[in-house]
Amino acid sequence: MTVYIPRPMLILLMIIYVLFLLSVDWINQVDGAWYRPFLVGFLVVIVASWSHRKQDSDEL
Amino acid sequence: MNYELTTIVGLGSGYLALLFGIAFATERGLIPEKIVRHPIVYTLSLGVFASVWAYYTSIGNALRDGYGYLAQSIGISLVFLLSPLLLRPLLELTRTYQLSSLADLMAFRYRSPWAGTVTTLVILIGVTPLIALQIRAVADTAGILSPELSQASMAFGFCVIITLFSILFGTSRRGSRTQHDGLVMAIAFESLVKLVAFLAVGAFAIFGGFGGMEGLEQWLQDNPHLITSLKETNYLSSFHIMSLLFFTAAVAMPHMFYVTFNENNGQRALSYASWGLPLYFLLLSLPVLPILWAGLQSGSEVQVEYFPVVIGVAYDVPFFTVLAYLGGLSAASGLIIVITLALSNMCLNHLILPIYQPTAQHDIYRWLLWKRRVLITALIWSGFLFRYLPNQQISLQVIGTISFTAGLQFLPGIVAILYWPQANKKGFMSGLGAGVATWFIFLTLPLLTEGDTLSLVSLNWHEVAAFSLILNSLFFVVVSLRSTSTDEERSSADICTLDTIKRRKRSGLVAKTPNDFIKSLSKPLGDKTANREVSQALKDLDISHDDRRPYAMRLLRGRLEANLSGLLGPSIARELIDGYLPYSIVSQHGTSDLNVIENRIEAYRSNLSGMAADLDNLRRYHRQILLDLPLGVCSLSSDDEIIMWNRALEDFTKISSANVIGSQLADLPEPWLELLENFIRDDAEHSYKHSFDLNGHKKTVNLHKALIEKSSDLGSSHEGIIILIEDITEIETLEAGLSHSERLASIGRLAAGVAHEIGNPITGIACLAQTIRDEFEDNELQNLATQIIEQTNRTSKILQALVNFAHAGTNQTHYENEIVIIADCMEEARTLIFLDTKNKDLQLHIESDPQAKISGDSQRLLQVLLNLVSNARDASQADGEVSLQASVNNDQVRITVTDEGIGIPPIIRDRIFDPFFTTKEAGDGTGLGLSLVFSIVEDLKGDIDIISPANKATGTGTQVILRFPCYHGDMESVNDSMNQ
Repeated sequence: MTVYIPRPMLILLMIIYVLFLLSVDWINQVDGAWYRPFLVGFLVVIVASWSHRKQDSDEL
Repeated sequence: MNYELTTIVGLGSGYLALLFGIAFATERGLIPEKIVRHPIVYTLSLGVFASVWAYYTSIGNALRDGYGYLAQSIGISLVFLLSPLLLRPLLELTRTYQLSSLADLMAFRYRSPWAGTVTTLVILIGVTPLIALQIRAVADTAGILSPELSQASMAFGFCVIITLFSILFGTSRRGSRTQHDGLVMAIAFESLVKLVAFLAVGAFAIFGGFGGMEGLEQWLQDNPHLITSLKETNYLSSFHIMSLLFFTAAVAMPHMFYVTFNENNGQRALSYASWGLPLYFLLLSLPVLPILWAGLQSGSEVQVEYFPVVIGVAYDVPFFTVLAYLGGLSAASGLIIVITLALSNMCLNHLILPIYQPTAQHDIYRWLLWKRRVLITALIWSGFLFRYLPNQQISLQVIGTISFTAGLQFLPGIVAILYWPQANKKGFMSGLGAGVATWFIFLTLPLLTEGDTLSLVSLNWHEVAAFSLILNSLFFVVVSLRSTSTDEERSSADICTLDTIKRRKRSGLVAKTPNDFIKSLSKPLGDKTANREVSQALKDLDISHDDRRPYAMRLLRGRLEANLSGLLGPSIARELIDGYLPYSIVSQHGTSDLNVIENRIEAYRSNLSGMAADLDNLRRYHRQILLDLPLGVCSLSSDDEIIMWNRALEDFTKISSANVIGSQLADLPEPWLELLENFIRDDAEHSYKHSFDLNGHKKTVNLHKALIEKSSDLGSSHEGIIILIEDITEIETLEAGLSHSERLASIGRLAAGVAHEIGNPITGIACLAQTIRDEFEDNELQNLATQIIEQTNRTSKILQALVNFAHAGTNQTHYENEIVIIADCMEEARTLIFLDTKNKDLQLHIESDPQAKISGDSQRLLQVLLNLVSNARDASQADGEVSLQASVNNDQVRITVTDEGIGIPPIIRDRIFDPFFTTKEAGDGTGLGLSLVFSIVEDLKGDIDIISPANKATGTGTQVILRFPCYHGDMESVNDSMNQ
């Protein structure tokens, strides 16, 4: 079965996955600031807004 | 903390009144549509998901699970971040088929009213505690602010206002199909209020509670156990299942389904929400930790969940307490309003309508409206009554978890809708049954049977949730694989599944016209409703009321089913449509609905990528070739439905493809029907020079046909037929004209030969007559001889004219260059014209200036005059008057031929000089006359003009004006000018 995934979506998926792997340890460092998860969250939102703006031109 | 009762009630009522105001202003159009329809409003309205759970419960979760409290935000954000995988296709599906709830979607996909009913029941049981949780949070916070306030009466008042609001702005006579702008605007406003309130309280916690970020850091260093518990990873065991819970809830929970799909106003809004909603939840999660820590620092003894309300008073700034209370009120009221609206539709469509349907005598819209209002009231008040159940000490967190775990049971069913066409009703029902049973036995039952919070925790809820999901999926997959799907299920799987563009079967309908549709639907729906629904569907599809094309009727049937599905739910709609608008014959082979497939590919085009997109481009390229082919192309399916009608054929037949595609061959107007039918019936693959009459004009075509080979061996011998129609009318006319002209030329040669043969004896006679005149002195004999000579001269002249006429326009390349006296030429023309007996009644007036002379070939000018006079005669009455005048004006000789005939219609004026263009009957004219005139006039360095009507007053007559350079000098100068 083939599922068509737009390219920006694939990039977003990859970035979320890589960020998840990289950030778990960074967030949980004992001396790290409490708001670190939110920094990662903002980064994901910025990438997502780029990825979805790309898709706007692809309006059905 | 002790606020005046009136303050609390006044604040709550004032805030809810403001909501009424916003919704009312929107419905009245006082807020510009640009704002109402802005994607940000849609994104904010999706913030309804951030209920009391996100607002109060997350504080408790943060204390217990550390960063685990972010699971809710991560779950919901993932659904929206990955919207092209789930939300976009679901949005397309729900919009196309007017599916207004998860139960509609399940009933539609699994083709079973039971799927819808069971989904509704599970959601109803799962969601009622969530409604109760909202009411309880409002009553609790009011109780914290004003201990003397009766929580029951506060909850009562809140429920009354919310019920009124939901009924006024959430229900309309148009049913659930239309968007409720007022409601959406009010919900968006609520989301904004709770975000602003929460962020403000969070900022206050940091700056008011700790004196800034440094103070907070210092306090955290003094309490290191808080940071350690925050970052302990033991919460990870429940983190994944919790995220999955909220991931599913984004689609399964009725309020989210309602706002995401029903109130959506385009893919663009969803694109905004795809990153806007994650941002919203991120911002909403941000103040949780500062509020928790500020609450802990204050040493408040109030339940941790209600810290947002407490800290304002604890740090002596009561404003923030009020703000937090209003934020909580927003969160609770938004969720209750939307969830009861969505649930009322589900209950109506899947619990009430399957049992009782209104008769045709009822006004269905009114009946549905009232039932919906009653249901909304019942749902809100069942949430209110929930608080009177035992076990009131159960925490908000436990109630919420139980609700969301019920929603989790729909995850396999939802994913299979888009990605697993083999899934069927039996699989879905058994999976759901297994999952819900596990959920009920291990999570809900312990609570109802005197269990308490601890017993639930000891059961380890996340393991139960995971177990129920695994069991659900296992049953779903195994039963689906081991049972067979019905044709209906397979067809709906094709519609829903993303990558399946299968060839759908096409069948004829019993109802042939929109009026038949109305008549059939009047039986169950009543005349008024049937009329309105059919008219609406026709309007949606932009199809005329008179359309009879089978393709259009099939589209109309589909649209009606979708529209009725929005009104009555998919199960009832399908039952009505199948029962009252049945197919006449279900075709078994070779009749796949290519038009529908094509429309579908066009609609999903932007979803295609890679090889699929390449194939689509190839398809479009080949289709374009056929459409732009300069030959008429018409393709028919094996049951004679017209599939293609290209542009050349549109131009030739003047029948637009939009009107003919999808109709039967038999619906074509004459003469096309007879032409094509005879040709299809004929064994020959080609038919050359086939002539027929089209609006009084003869048309000639070459026809070619080919069978479209069937791709599989089943069924009929071919899949259809393709016919090429080549319009050769002009070529045919040209050929006929050429052969006519060839005949004329040979007649001319014959005439010249005959004239030559007669000319010799005539010359002999003339010589003899001259001899008699000169040799004999008898006067009478001389007179007779002179008369013979005159008659022979006349005969010679006529013969010479005949010879000249025959030669003109043939291959003669040498022309005389002489002085042509126009008056003489006109006289010669008169002589020749009256030789023709047809001209005996013609009144020809000749008037010429003796000075009118030109240089050229007199015989060619004669031919011009003869042609013009002959045309003038044909256009005039039998005794009509034609005048031939010549004058000299400014070194120009002006010759006019004027008649009193019918004139030349403007439409053909541009074409009269075209070769072979004639308005005369076949055989009467060659269409060469005026063209010859034109070329001769050009050769003689003149020009030609036509004025018609010549007589403006009567609108009749034609005047042809010829202008030539006037001859003044001697022949040498003529020769010089001609040579130049």
